[in-house]
Amino acid sequence: MKMTLYVAKNSIVHKSDPITKLTYCLVAAIVPYIIPNHLFAFVIMLLSISLLLLGKVFRKMIPIYILSLFLLITIVIIQGIFHPDNVTPLFMLGPITFYQEGLLIASLLIIRIINMLSAFGVVILTTQPDDLIEALVKKGMSPRIGYVIGSVLQIIPQMSSMVGTIMDAQRSRGLETEGKLSTRIKAFIPLIGPVIMNSLIATRERSIALEIRGFNSKRKKTFLRDEKEFLFGKPYQLLLILCFIGAIIWRIFQ
Amino acid sequence: MNEIKTENVSFSYDQKTIVLKDINLTLANKPTAIIGQNGAGKSTLVKLFKGLLKPTEGDIWINGKNTKEFTAAQLASHIGLVFQNPGDQIFKHKVIDEVMFGPLNIGQSREKAYQNSIEALKKVHMEKYKDENPYDLNLSQQKLVTIASILAMDPPIIIFDEPTIGQDDFGKELLKNLIRDLAAEGKLVLTIIHDMDFVAETFERTIVMNQGEVILDGPTREVFAKEDIIKLAKLDLPHVMQMAKVFGIEETVLTVDELITRLQRI
Amino acid sequence: MKKIIVDSLKYKYPGTDNLALNDISFEVEEGEIIGIVGKNGSGKTSLSLSLTGLIPHFFGGGYGGKVLVDGLEVRNSTVTEISERVGYVFDNPFSQMTAAKYTVYEEVAFGLENMGLPREEIKKRVDWSLQLLDLESIKEKYPFDLSGGQMQRVAIAGVIAMKPQILVLDEPTSQLDPEGSEEVFQVIQSLAQEGITILIVEHKLEKIAKFCDKILLLHEGQLIDFNHPQEVFSRDDLKDYGIMPPVFTRVCRALDIKNPLTGHYPVTLEEVTQLVKNHE
Ligand SMILES: Nc1ncnc2c1ncn2[C@@H]1O[C@H](COP(=O)(O)OP(=O)(O)OP(=O)(O)O)[C@@H](O)[C@H]1O
Ligand SMILES: Nc1ncnc2c1ncn2[C@@H]1O[C@H](COP(=O)(O)OP(=O)(O)OP(=O)(O)O)[C@@H](O)[C@H]1O
Ligand SMILES: [Mg+2]
Ligand SMILES: [Mg+2]
Repeated sequence: MKMTLYVAKNSIVHKSDPITKLTYCLVAAIVPYIIPNHLFAFVIMLLSISLLLLGKVFRKMIPIYILSLFLLITIVIIQGIFHPDNVTPLFMLGPITFYQEGLLIASLLIIRIINMLSAFGVVILTTQPDDLIEALVKKGMSPRIGYVIGSVLQIIPQMSSMVGTIMDAQRSRGLETEGKLSTRIKAFIPLIGPVIMNSLIATRERSIALEIRGFNSKRKKTFLRDEKEFLFGKPYQLLLILCFIGAIIWRIFQ
Repeated sequence: MNEIKTENVSFSYDQKTIVLKDINLTLANKPTAIIGQNGAGKSTLVKLFKGLLKPTEGDIWINGKNTKEFTAAQLASHIGLVFQNPGDQIFKHKVIDEVMFGPLNIGQSREKAYQNSIEALKKVHMEKYKDENPYDLNLSQQKLVTIASILAMDPPIIIFDEPTIGQDDFGKELLKNLIRDLAAEGKLVLTIIHDMDFVAETFERTIVMNQGEVILDGPTREVFAKEDIIKLAKLDLPHVMQMAKVFGIEETVLTVDELITRLQRI
Repeated sequence: MKKIIVDSLKYKYPGTDNLALNDISFEVEEGEIIGIVGKNGSGKTSLSLSLTGLIPHFFGGGYGGKVLVDGLEVRNSTVTEISERVGYVFDNPFSQMTAAKYTVYEEVAFGLENMGLPREEIKKRVDWSLQLLDLESIKEKYPFDLSGGQMQRVAIAGVIAMKPQILVLDEPTSQLDPEGSEEVFQVIQSLAQEGITILIVEHKLEKIAKFCDKILLLHEGQLIDFNHPQEVFSRDDLKDYGIMPPVFTRVCRALDIKNPLTGHYPVTLEEVTQLVKNHE
């Protein structure tokens, strides 16, 4: 069972400093909101996608794009039809009129969301969770928060392994979970309760397991993993932060 | 007559490391133990029997049904498995709901399922916990709940994966009798276990596994006569046999009473 | 030196009426190995949890009396403080996995990282405990992809690597193969020789008899006996406490073979062997 979303590849993105990637992710996700400009947001989105391509992990993002498509289509429809600023009709689909203003706003939202997903993808798919957490803890973040981040990164794989365990328990005792789509959907409902309960119990169990082995000790921890050398360290982080400040200043004096 | 049959079964979790190699077995109604070192592949083998995993190579038939052609759910009324880790099996908030889950799924009516579940809980002396949350029980009690959950379904083939984990002498005695009773009812009972005394006292047939292979299979008395193979599989002789050797008795001795009778004669 | 002092300990889980531990008092010397025995529900796990501070700090409930581990009063200390002195192995190995680490190797190293030991020392200790528990061949595996017995070995390895002054183990060999159980007891014995104090809950009484200095017999939350194995296992009322003495003792009792040196029935195979030799 693979418990992380990390994809092991040999690329310049993988070899980059986790903190730099995290800074990029945050800056790239927020700046398009500070500067509400289509072209600008689009460029940042292309940049994030290029980083995914450079890191050879773009394909892993496709299912996530598809999943979010559902959300995106809803945005287009709602904004396109109902946005209060709507005045210029653009086209009609049957009896429904889509307006230019609404669609423009919707498209900006979509670019931002795709960009944000891609920027997160860059961090999560190309960084080993341990590297990221260790880098953050070394920067002075509390190991507790590090563990929380680590668990968040593990949530999806862990949930899917828990779902697997519970489904095994259920089909062992005669609940059909395989076969037709309708069967699978039906099998989904009896899963929800146990998954939530098991997660709660697991969380409690884990916190005991950690505490009993001195996780909350105030001593300075040792990092066993070999120190890795990363590309694009501090100066690039500063540069990104400067860009961020630049965007804010631009916004203020606009 | 119930039967599990395997033909050239091999299995791997990750397509790289082979966990089971070329297993050929026919299991029938005799109470049977599977023993072997940690990681030998015992639990994996019974999950294959159960249809939860499918062989990478070869075939398995459960009372004539090839596990590849049926879903685990379809096999559920034919073969029951009590998991090694109760945490992998329990998912309901109430003991009685947990036990009734299986019976209801295989088509028992509510009344019948309830009745069978209470009966099953009684068999393992857990009926007084029927309204408790299984997560509040300790490991040995959870194990008994998971056993009752399978008994209530009344399948003709029952597999126990390390049923004695955490059980005291009373619990072990209870399980011993339970296994004997199930066998007497004509069920095929298969048990994975590390307690050699329990094996010697309870099972007619014993299968020894080592690194994914069956290295010994036969009547329990004959299996324990092959000390070198037993040791190779990181196992040990039952305590009574170890003691018998001290008194110069080299033949297999399986129970305390047997040893006492032998020694009284000396 | 007294490493553990338990004085009139009473404990009740929240929402229950019965005392899980009822007025328990005993003391343990440095380097002793104590076997805790008793039938299911007699309070073994509760007693061991109360040495780690998880009772009362995590479980809550009603608490009375005093527990001192290495001079530290449990009730007034945090679980983290206690964890620096007391190592604990859970009855269910699943409960011990941190889920913070991706390999067996890192899982075993977890406690040592928290202790802040130098990296070289950590590597040395991890290799040592992996080897003791025969885990070298699977050290790169994901801890949740192991067989039950393998996971139990990882749980034990992760704690003994920390070499705590006091080691409490709750049925640590329940899923181990016979050779593995024997090895764990041998490791425990050698740790005790280094001065580590050990309490082990165990149903395998033949092992308890062979390796433990003293047995602590519990029944319905009460301490029935705290004495040497020979003494405890020759009690006539063991059945009342749901305990059967070791196989060797049972056979010798039936044949009325006593050890003239102790006046008791033998409790270990070694003792029986010695007797037979002397007889010849
Ligand atoms: N989900 C899994 N993914 C990958 N490997 C696994 C998985 N489960 C078990 N294994 C490996 O397969 C081998 C056989 O495991 P299995 O659980 O069948 O052993 P076992 O004989 O039941 O051992 P035990 O006595 O410890 O329970 C082991 O080496 C184990 O590490
Ligand atoms: N979390 C809990 N909440 C309420 N009661 C509990 C809890 N854990 C244990 N008990 C009760 O406390 C008593 C002592 O249980 P404990 O688990 O300490 O026994 P044990 O000797 O370890 O048993 P076993 O051999 O089954 O592991 C029992 O009556 C049990 O039902
Ligand atoms: Mg197993
Ligand atoms: Mg217990």
